[in-house]
Amino acid sequence: MTQPSDAQVTSSSAEAAVTYVFAVCRSTRATSALDLTGVTGMPGGEAVRLLPSGLLTAVVQTVPAADFTDEVWQGRLADREEIERYARAHHAVVSAVATHGPVVPLPLATLYHDDDRARSRLAEEADRFHTALKRVAHHAEWGVKVYRPATPDPAAAFEEPAPETDGGRARGAGLAYLNRKRGAQALREKRREQALDVAESVDAELRGLAAASRRLRTHGAALSGDQRVHVLNATYLVANDRAHEVGLLVRALGERTGAQIELSGPWVPYSFVGEV
Amino acid sequence: MTDLDFRQGDQPIPGPQTTNLADILERVLDKGIVIAGDIKIDLLDIELLTIRLRLFVASVDTAKKAGIDWWETDPALSSKASRNALEDENRELRERLRALEPSADAGREKESEQR
Repeated sequence: MTQPSDAQVTSSSAEAAVTYVFAVCRSTRATSALDLTGVTGMPGGEAVRLLPSGLLTAVVQTVPAADFTDEVWQGRLADREEIERYARAHHAVVSAVATHGPVVPLPLATLYHDDDRARSRLAEEADRFHTALKRVAHHAEWGVKVYRPATPDPAAAFEEPAPETDGGRARGAGLAYLNRKRGAQALREKRREQALDVAESVDAELRGLAAASRRLRTHGAALSGDQRVHVLNATYLVANDRAHEVGLLVRALGERTGAQIELSGPWVPYSFVGEV
Repeated sequence: MTDLDFRQGDQPIPGPQTTNLADILERVLDKGIVIAGDIKIDLLDIELLTIRLRLFVASVDTAKKAGIDWWETDPALSSKASRNALEDENRELRERLRALEPSADAGREKESEQR
């Protein structure tokens, strides 16, 4: 854009600032009364504010253009602390807005040259936003992770005391070794299958009370030394009036299956607005 | 605040503050309603970012076995590498991941809708 933007931009020049859009909600009285003083938004940005556009209102922030280029972000994406700062800042704004009504979050780093550009894009996509808002209204997202507890290596269970020998090598030692290996392998396989069965049944039960569900990729063992095996990473869109059932069900499933089940939420339904 | 954080009321509530970074990243990166922005930022997907940041490294062992150990010497992990190197690396990594885990794309977003 060559043409400088007017009014909206405060002290910084038009070339130096861009509009970051966090989320979109309905233009209601609750929205216009939204108190955003508690959220700081992106590091280095101006105050987080509302940008009304007809029936929709975007939650935006003017941020320095130089800090929101692809080049800068590639570096940021390689720095754990940096990306954590920005991801949490984004999440904090989205979450703050959600306390006042349904909200549709945008992915991290959705940027426009200025407010007018943001407004016009919003207008073009108005139908999608309304569909998504309708879908997530009175619902929250709940994340469920199922872990198989870390177990001793099955090979250990097959370690038998070495047979008594008369000085020479035990007869059949090679065969016994192979049998142990085979047994350990079979046990490992069996445990894996059992864990996957548990994951499937946990998922099936939770889907029973969800309006929609999604499977996410399971996480590998964390470097923090978490040796548990992650067998299910799923997320569910649940009506708020059934929210209390989620915790109860998760607890019951944990007791029934013996698996470790972690529940997180309620989340703003990030995972359920993308496909409209 | 615990994982089980129930609050009354009709509105969706923010996730727990203690939520781990991986949980947040897999939502703010890949999810949300996508509308084209004016400024294109290639965010990587959660899987690539995971490997790069060693967050909850699902594929590292697999990758190591296959001889992909670039992160051991990746300048971007300690300093800002040049843009081109990062782009090449992202592209290469994507290709390798695809080769390593042909089923990953199919399985990652298996979604089931009900009612």
